[in-house]
Amino acid sequence: VTWRVGRVVVRLDAASESRPGIDTAARLAASWRVPLRGVFVEDEELLALAALPFAVQITLAAGRGVLRRAEIEGHLRAFAERARREVAAAAERHGVEWSFAVVRGSFAEDEDDFIVAGGAARPLGGQARLPPRWQPAAHPLLLARREWAVGGSVTIMLRRRGPPAARLLAIAAEIARLGGGMLTVLGAADAAGPDSNDFAAWVAAQLEGRPLILRTELVDMDLAALRQRFAAIDCRLLVLEASAPEEELRGLVERVACDVLLLR
Amino acid sequence: MELAASEDRSSYRQPDAGGPRPPDAAPGRPLPPALLYSRCDPASLPEDLAGAVEDAAGAIGQDRAVEAVEFAVAMRRKGYNVYALGPSGTGKHTLIDDLLRRRAAAEPTPSDWCYVNNFADPQKPRRLELPPGRAVHLREAMRRLVEELRAALPAAFERDDYRTRREVVDQQFKERNEEPFAELQRHAEAKGITLIRTPMGLALAPRRDGKVLSPEAFEALPAQERERVQRDMAEVQGELEAVMQKVPQWEREHRDAVRELNRETTGGAIALMMDELRAGFCDLPDVPAYLDAVERDIKENADDFLAPAAPAQPGVPIPAQLEEAMTEARFRRYQVNVMVDNGAQRGAPVVYEDNPTHQTLVGRSQYMARFGALVTDFNLLTAGALHRANGGYLILDAQKLLTGSLGWPSLKRSLNAGEIRIETLEQLLSMASTVTLDPEPIPLRVKVVLLGPAQVYYLLSALDDDFKELFKIAADFDDRIERSPESTLRYARFVAGVVRRDGLRPFDRGAVARVIEQAARLAGDSEKLSAGLRDIVDLLQESDELAAEAGLGAVGAAEVQQAIDARFRRGDRVYRRLQEEIGRRTIRVETDGSVVGQINGLSVISLGGLSFGNPSRITARVRLGRGEVVDIEREVALGGPLHSKGVLILAGFLGGRFGQSRPLSLNASLVFEQSYGGVDGDSASAAELFALLSALADVPLSQSFAVTGSVDQLGRIQAIGGVNEKIEGFFDVCRTVGLTGRQGVVIPASNIEHLMLRQDIVAAATEERFRIIPIETVDQGLSLLTGMPAGEPDAEGGYPEGTFNQRVAARLDGFAAKAAELARQAAALPPSRP
Repeated sequence: VTWRVGRVVVRLDAASESRPGIDTAARLAASWRVPLRGVFVEDEELLALAALPFAVQITLAAGRGVLRRAEIEGHLRAFAERARREVAAAAERHGVEWSFAVVRGSFAEDEDDFIVAGGAARPLGGQARLPPRWQPAAHPLLLARREWAVGGSVTIMLRRRGPPAARLLAIAAEIARLGGGMLTVLGAADAAGPDSNDFAAWVAAQLEGRPLILRTELVDMDLAALRQRFAAIDCRLLVLEASAPEEELRGLVERVACDVLLLR
Repeated sequence: MELAASEDRSSYRQPDAGGPRPPDAAPGRPLPPALLYSRCDPASLPEDLAGAVEDAAGAIGQDRAVEAVEFAVAMRRKGYNVYALGPSGTGKHTLIDDLLRRRAAAEPTPSDWCYVNNFADPQKPRRLELPPGRAVHLREAMRRLVEELRAALPAAFERDDYRTRREVVDQQFKERNEEPFAELQRHAEAKGITLIRTPMGLALAPRRDGKVLSPEAFEALPAQERERVQRDMAEVQGELEAVMQKVPQWEREHRDAVRELNRETTGGAIALMMDELRAGFCDLPDVPAYLDAVERDIKENADDFLAPAAPAQPGVPIPAQLEEAMTEARFRRYQVNVMVDNGAQRGAPVVYEDNPTHQTLVGRSQYMARFGALVTDFNLLTAGALHRANGGYLILDAQKLLTGSLGWPSLKRSLNAGEIRIETLEQLLSMASTVTLDPEPIPLRVKVVLLGPAQVYYLLSALDDDFKELFKIAADFDDRIERSPESTLRYARFVAGVVRRDGLRPFDRGAVARVIEQAARLAGDSEKLSAGLRDIVDLLQESDELAAEAGLGAVGAAEVQQAIDARFRRGDRVYRRLQEEIGRRTIRVETDGSVVGQINGLSVISLGGLSFGNPSRITARVRLGRGEVVDIEREVALGGPLHSKGVLILAGFLGGRFGQSRPLSLNASLVFEQSYGGVDGDSASAAELFALLSALADVPLSQSFAVTGSVDQLGRIQAIGGVNEKIEGFFDVCRTVGLTGRQGVVIPASNIEHLMLRQDIVAAATEERFRIIPIETVDQGLSLLTGMPAGEPDAEGGYPEGTFNQRVAARLDGFAAKAAELARQAAALPPSRP
């Protein structure tokens, strides 16, 4: 199984928490010895909205107010500048080469980019947040929500065995090695075959020789039960197959509190 | 046992006192050697002094002071504090410390005191009173509790049941929070509107074909459509505002739910530990309430125990020292600051504070720098001497107290209020510029003993009303004590006690006797002993050192004498210089022959710890005048008020004796020749009178004598101080110039009992090479100094021919006649023209 990362790109915007993403991206770049690139994406829709004559915004502090394009642009510039400083600081802390860009709408990704994005919406004031905005991506996408120092284990959910699953398993194992070496493999009960021992043996065979603390379980794909299980095993990073049904994927990505890595 | 401490001189009295006079101490006649020095017979002392040490050495002869202190100590009412007044070196401190410690040992050991956090108001720390030794137990119990909680609470919060419950709470909030927004978003999208996060809040945007409408596209819409879009936007905005208004309430409810869950989890985790802690202190009234407050605070602040402080910058490790400081800061509020630990104390404390200032007395609130600011808390309160002495006794030096920074006002305030209130100097002066504490005052029950000189006591009594209220007992220490067989024996025991205490060589009885004689000399009185025990202790130690240098196993009288001589020699540079200059006649002092209007007076010079006598020529000149006696010393501001008073008394004497039948038409001047410093005291007034009368009578005075003594207006000679030093000073001059056998010192008869002269003078007197002659009246002195009878007045006030007084009267008559003639001549002159 081969997996190559040429660059870690941290995608930043004004709607998401940036700090966990930047720190996670810098750590990964340092671990993989690849450059770090920060990209601040200005929301085109927001700018378009601000140009409308009747555009208003509602805030917790001030209630309803006129939304002005110049004001929005000023805010975005400030967000971008702060993001740039944080990327620079994180790169310096971890000793990685870095670059930074501000783009509007979208940015071009390279083939071997590993994308890290803020996995949590910025709070509206206190702790209340909108559901995270998320779109499936062609590249590996890590939605970072927690500080790296929080700890916890890496968990991967597999729907079936086979070479794609083995590749995902290898990537998850690589990331688990960076975070302390604990890997939990959850297999969908309906897809893992009749014998759970058989599934565990297959997983163990794929990861043979890797210095990991491995735990293998078969689970029902019930969202509520899964969330409870993630909390119980202190999951800090959940690795998912991006090819899973979108409904199921969205339910997991939007409802769990840990970081999520989507892999194709 | 009979002590030959002194011969009985108490029978010697002034003539008008009516007492019998010893036959061998007649005025105008040399004193027998036995009266020049009062020996202490070594044979009168016990052989085994080491077995009879004086326990309360400082109490020798201080019965009055001891009684006062004991009364004050027994009085438990407010204000019965003690001022022990007396000269320094009299053993006040030792005696009082000893007395108090004896009494304190039988008194109950006072409570421990500590300060703990006031969880309701940290600026006002709470005091806790605990039985002796229990405060430290509480402190250690609290320290262990925090340590255990730091392990137990994270474990409790790591358990699956907590994490699951917390997940449920968070998820409920998340769903409750996100669902209305999701619902709103669905509703909005059904109307072609999308919810967008702005940098500050939320906004709604019309969307067509998956994109937000541009202004141009919006303008291109039919008017009806534009109105519909705006109407829909307004409707959804209203719904969004309604949702947004609920957000703070949801957050509050979420926080409350988390707090309640944490409180419940914490309560379960700490219940057993708190119960065990309470059980250990359930017998104390204040501690359970404090522990309740601790438990409540831990439940409210369980987060402090769960994780190390989060770094300000993610990924940036916190320096170990800083992390330690931050951790310590989080748990400081559970510490117990033991202000007073009487665990090792037996009985009541006796505390001496050497530097009594506001802060050292009432304690202080310290500050520490944290992140660039000065902060304080109850852990930084430190105890003062009043805390340590609470329930017992506090000894202070009055002069240090009065000059120490705000010590006196603080002590008074504490004693008046009956409590110790820790205030910073800034608070005290109303200058507080930083956060300060207002700790709960600690009740004060202490007996204070101030040690100080009498002058300070009298000044405080006169000027400070509080002093009279707070220090009702004066323990008056004498600087000398009666020399009796009993006190001599106690003195000897005191010597033995010091020898044992300080590990000195044994003092034989001769040495002890010599020490006692020196004590009499230091008292300046053969019938007294000095209470300046510090000097005596110094003498003992110096004698021991000399014995050591000589390789002796015991100290004898010779070593004591050497120590006395050595001490004088160490400080006698000025004395020797003066003696030398007199010997070279640079300073003129006649010790033989006769001179009109000139006499040797004697003064005492005190330099450092040494006093010595110094002879000076006093001369008098008379002339026609208006009855004034001019004190030249005073005219040039070198004479002090007592000296001036003495000179004015001379004028009074002259007027009383010779001015009854004639005007005193003279002017006289008196001076200490070759004196370049100040002169005070009236001990030279007799000598001045003799010089003046000699000048008036034109009769020479013998220069073989020096004279000391004051005189009253009736011509009686009165006692003076420093008689031994004065005699020794003149003796040394005579010995330098050459002893003739005619030389001596004329002293007031009332000073005989003060004589404790050097052995070389006693020897010279025994060999009749030097004389000490007492006189009681001016006339006795005149006869002695002139060899003429003074002369008694007849019924008309006239004096017999050939007497000294007749010569004076005749001279004054001559002045009066001349004055009258001059007055007549002046009256006969024509009046002067303007």
